[in-house]
Amino acid sequence: MEGILLDRINFSYGNGNAVKDFSLAAARGEFIALMGPNAAGKSTLLKLACGILKPSSGAVKLSGRDLSAYAPKERARLISYLPQTPDVNIPFRVRELVDMGLYHGGGMEPEEALRAAGLLEKASSHITELSGGERKRAFVAMLLVQGSSIFLLDEPLANLDMKYQIELIRLLKGIIEGKNISVIMALHDINMAFHFHRVCVVKDGLMRALGKPEEVITKGLIRDVFEVEAEEFPGLRLKP
Amino acid sequence: MKKNILVLTLISLSVTLAALFVGASFINPLRADSLSREILFSIRLPRIAVSVLIGSSLGASGAVLQGLLRNPLADPYILGISSGAALFASAGLMLGTAFLGPFTIPLMAFAGASLTAAVVGGMGWKKGVLWPDRLLLAGIGVGFLFTAVLMLIMTLSTNYGLRRTLLWIFGDLSMSDWSLVPTGAVLVAAGLIITLARAKGLNALSLGDDMAHSLGFSPSRERFLLFTSVSLMTATSVSLGGVVGFVGLLIPHIVRFAVGSDARVLVPLSAIAGAGLVVFADMMGRTVMAPMEVPSGIITAIIGAPYFLYLLRKKDVFGV
Amino acid sequence: MRRILLIAAFVLSLCGAALAAPPARIVSLAPNVTEILYELGAGKRVAGVTDFCDWPPEAKEKSKVGGMINPSIEAIVSLRPDMVVMTTDGNPEEVGRKLSALGIQTHVLKARRLKELPDGIREIGKAISAEKEARALADRMEKAIEAYGQRGGKREDAPEKTLFVIWPQPLIVAGPSTTIDDAMGLLGLENMAKQAPTEYPRWSLEDVIRNSPEIIFIARGHADAEGFSRPLLEKLHGVDAVKNKRVYYVSDRILRLGPRIVEGIEEMEGLITGKDAKGGE
Repeated sequence: MEGILLDRINFSYGNGNAVKDFSLAAARGEFIALMGPNAAGKSTLLKLACGILKPSSGAVKLSGRDLSAYAPKERARLISYLPQTPDVNIPFRVRELVDMGLYHGGGMEPEEALRAAGLLEKASSHITELSGGERKRAFVAMLLVQGSSIFLLDEPLANLDMKYQIELIRLLKGIIEGKNISVIMALHDINMAFHFHRVCVVKDGLMRALGKPEEVITKGLIRDVFEVEAEEFPGLRLKP
Repeated sequence: MKKNILVLTLISLSVTLAALFVGASFINPLRADSLSREILFSIRLPRIAVSVLIGSSLGASGAVLQGLLRNPLADPYILGISSGAALFASAGLMLGTAFLGPFTIPLMAFAGASLTAAVVGGMGWKKGVLWPDRLLLAGIGVGFLFTAVLMLIMTLSTNYGLRRTLLWIFGDLSMSDWSLVPTGAVLVAAGLIITLARAKGLNALSLGDDMAHSLGFSPSRERFLLFTSVSLMTATSVSLGGVVGFVGLLIPHIVRFAVGSDARVLVPLSAIAGAGLVVFADMMGRTVMAPMEVPSGIITAIIGAPYFLYLLRKKDVFGV
Repeated sequence: MRRILLIAAFVLSLCGAALAAPPARIVSLAPNVTEILYELGAGKRVAGVTDFCDWPPEAKEKSKVGGMINPSIEAIVSLRPDMVVMTTDGNPEEVGRKLSALGIQTHVLKARRLKELPDGIREIGKAISAEKEARALADRMEKAIEAYGQRGGKREDAPEKTLFVIWPQPLIVAGPSTTIDDAMGLLGLENMAKQAPTEYPRWSLEDVIRNSPEIIFIARGHADAEGFSRPLLEKLHGVDAVKNKRVYYVSDRILRLGPRIVEGIEEMEGLITGKDAKGGE
């Protein structure tokens, strides 16, 4: 079953194309990693996928219907997006933040989401006081309360300790599996890619590869896309 | 939290009640002779009414703007609205009261405030969106420009009335009159209603436009509505009694400390607490040195600044 | 040695000349000073005045040097004055210091009260070599003030409560230690704000209503005094002065510690007694 479809979209910020003729379909319950070097167009793709940016040509479709045809409230039930660094200048309490998921959504109970995110005892702390990992989990709890069927996450693992990275991935997988939620997550740590069903590799706004991680991530691709020799990753057993 | 809401509301209410009794002389409203009744109805009550309007506008506007501009240091005057009001009001003073009667100054101030808000909004507008940083910088720039023009006029002019604009800029409630209260109340109520209706949008916007989009809002629409209501409330408060400093900055922080940051609670309670603070400042202003008066803006700053600094030392208030 | 003597003699002669010659180019830094200078017959010698110097009318034709608090030092210097007359009331001290540092002679009028004015005028007379005129003017004013002092005390048994409004909104009134307070004393009136801690306090409307002054003066310092004070008088509609139509607008003569202040007092007297004042508008 199809969750979200990016259908041959093009987009430019005015100085050269940021995304070129890009197509991707994510099925319900699918866990996709979006990989590529810095400035490859990962964030742009996620913003296009959730409608913050409008493609200059092509279309984004949710359940076969064009994304722009949804009212903001309807859209919020279907798709949600977590920017790499959400603004936290206003010292909301964790519970206040998580409750915002209720505005136009209807997923988990806030209490339940906080428990799932392991933040129940931090419910009345200010988000500004949380560690980086806790803060990411607080926002994920908000998404769970909103309860959309597609999660677009922009580098949620960035700047996290290995322990928190694994915890967050486990949390997402644990909650999402069996709920038919699709996840597209921008990622730059190759090690993490192996937790995903599929990996989509982009560079310069173009899709370079798409498929199961162990098939896609090869020495050749790493050399080609990331401009590094794969010998730098002695722990990974990669195809040539 | 519910307890704190109740406490703040009760404090504001009792201050307002006390303000009826206290002034240059003590009046018991229940046992007042005709002279005291005259003082009560034509001087004290309109002052309290105008204080409530000004305080609630400033408190609510400050709470909204801090979220809207994502800046805990924002206050209603940061958008240059008060400078525009002062510039136009001084023009009104210079032209005399001939053409609009006693409403000249408030009307000119309102026109100046609205025009400034429109100009700042126009400068902050790009690609169909009001950008918080652009708004903030445009407000500061326009504010400086208008203040400079006002100072220039005051330096060049020998008009005696104009030099007195300064007194008005620092806030004056002593001449408060019933005539402006109904209009003021309608405008402030309109602003508060829009704001409360968009409180969820304000919460979402505080997390950034992308997050607000994800939560099911149209960021540009929400920000436009909120900006309009803040401009309306600030313009009204400046026209009613000049500039009463510190309320819009301080009150939202105190209230946030007591009841949290959710705009659905924060905004109405900031309005209530703001009203309480301005009523209190005005009450002190007409009592402490009676029969001399001290402008309320000075008192809000004298009460407010030390408390603000105290809050600053408490780690969790500003989140830093 | 001879050369040193010569130089000394030359310097001495310069000093002597400077001391002897009456200043020919005078700059006035306050409206009341300008009025005094003209009254002493030194109008022709006035080289520059402030933007606020509007009396006598010919003073408006003189070169302007800016405001009282912020006069342009450059404008003053470029007029090459040999004397600048200023006041302690309106001009900042540093203006005097700066002018002295530039070698320009200054004279400061220190009078703040009515009684101090005649001596102040005499000193100005000395400084600008118009001693005779100054003595005559000062004596004349002293006599007039003294005459009021005797008359005023007898005019009424109980002094009438009076409020002098400097600015109507916010209400600012004349307090103690002002020329207006002095004038009220001479006229046998009681200044309602005489207990105020400052000279020009913001005043409580509640207090005005409760203590109900019998007479209210409003300074006509600006274009539309009637218009600006209308809201105030509406609020004070129950006060004796308003009920009995004893609200009077007075010209700014009384606000200026200069030669016309006696006319100002006469004007106030004329208004409250119903007699036509000599210099009334």
